[in-house]
Amino acid sequence: MITIDWNHLFLVAATSVLAAVSVIILFSVGIRLLTNAEHAKKSHKGSDMKALRSEALNRAVAYVMFGLSFGAVILGVLLVIPGVIKGV
Amino acid sequence: MSALTIVSLVVILALFFDFTNGFHDTANAMATPIATGALKPRTAVAIASVMNLIGAFLSTTVATMISVSMINDPSLLKPEVVFAGLTGAILWNLTTWFLGLPSSSSHALFGGLIGAVLAAVGLNGVNFVAIAEKILLPALFAPLIAGVAAWLATRIAYAITARASDDDVATGRGKFRVGQIFSSSLVALSHGTNDAQKTMGVITLVLVAGGIQKDGAHVELWVIVAAALAIAAGTFSGGWRIIKTMGKGLSEVKAPQGLAAEVATAATILASSKLGFALSTTQVASGSIIGSGLGRKGGKVRWNKAGHVVLGWLFTLPAAALVGAISALIVGTGSAGIIIDAVVTVAVIIAIFQIARRNAVTHQNVASELEDASEVVASKKQQKLAAKETAKAAKKSSNKGKGKK
Repeated sequence: MITIDWNHLFLVAATSVLAAVSVIILFSVGIRLLTNAEHAKKSHKGSDMKALRSEALNRAVAYVMFGLSFGAVILGVLLVIPGVIKGV
Repeated sequence: MSALTIVSLVVILALFFDFTNGFHDTANAMATPIATGALKPRTAVAIASVMNLIGAFLSTTVATMISVSMINDPSLLKPEVVFAGLTGAILWNLTTWFLGLPSSSSHALFGGLIGAVLAAVGLNGVNFVAIAEKILLPALFAPLIAGVAAWLATRIAYAITARASDDDVATGRGKFRVGQIFSSSLVALSHGTNDAQKTMGVITLVLVAGGIQKDGAHVELWVIVAAALAIAAGTFSGGWRIIKTMGKGLSEVKAPQGLAAEVATAATILASSKLGFALSTTQVASGSIIGSGLGRKGGKVRWNKAGHVVLGWLFTLPAAALVGAISALIVGTGSAGIIIDAVVTVAVIIAIFQIARRNAVTHQNVASELEDASEVVASKKQQKLAAKETAKAAKKSSNKGKGKK
């Protein structure tokens, strides 16, 4: 009688969907914020402090998001290499 | 014929197979970034090649799955059987490539090996549980998993970046291209962790069968290096075909969609490599492209195209198994059989390369399954165009009818 271990398949399915979705969410939010910053830049002519601050904030958080999404990818690759992260 | 001669023959053929694998699969990683303009073709091909090389070194789980789990007691196997399986796989792969039929290099390899072992050793030779768990189920589900992941990721990417105006400048969606540089490199890396491993697995299997290596639990360093170099060289030289043909087939893929598809492909392949699932990377990439096409607003499935793609998914393994079995029966007759098998294989390789070189590169002989897959979902724009054309044709025919009256 052939008994098949389905757990591994579920594990691959869950991690693949979860990993892809998390990376995309982080990256897309980054793009959204970066575009916000560009729109803010266009709208403030001269030295509107409020718009300037909004531009800087959006841009900064955008780069944090890009960094996080890149970090998630690196973590994923490290998890594949045996022995790099203990217990996996 | 001595065992060492046959082992050497298998090593050479396996590395050749690895090279053609890389040659064939450059498109999987680099087709979308080239189509969306994220990378220049030459840069893309160079990156893909290097990432494949690195990926091959990361994990040997898939390789040991082949050399340990797939075959019951590889030490009882004769090197001739591995030789027969490999030549069967190569013959099937090149013939389908020449005919423009969708096929998977990985499934051809497994099919060839399984067929040869079944013919030479019998039902006890192969471990059906391992094959079902690590090859057959992933073959059925991995493209589906990647498709669902890509579909979800595409929807999310579009939802997060949605704005009142839908053009790329206002939404910033053009910026997804920069992300594609990383995501496509990741696909190439994951390709190395899965596809290069198959060659390492076969070489290790024949080393065990030939009595050169005690068991298949580890992969020799020279095997890893040789397989990594062969797939990287294949990827690099496969590039020129893409440079010539790209930009036609995948023109409908937008940057956010491309990124979503690549991330889904890489995630699925990497997770599978970790657990020793040997899957067809091309099928996973195709699943992602279809999923991301459906994730865009108004995408519609062209069922006849989808059928063509799925047929290739299901057909390759049993067909290659048959060729592998026949080749094992010929090899089983002794030294003469081995020579006949080798001569036929080399003759077919040379003939097909000669013909391929004479013919210009077209969509037909490039046979990129990814392009087939990208045509499975019709975008809104393509649907409108098709509707316009049918309306035009209808008008013409009705005008003709009036003229006759």
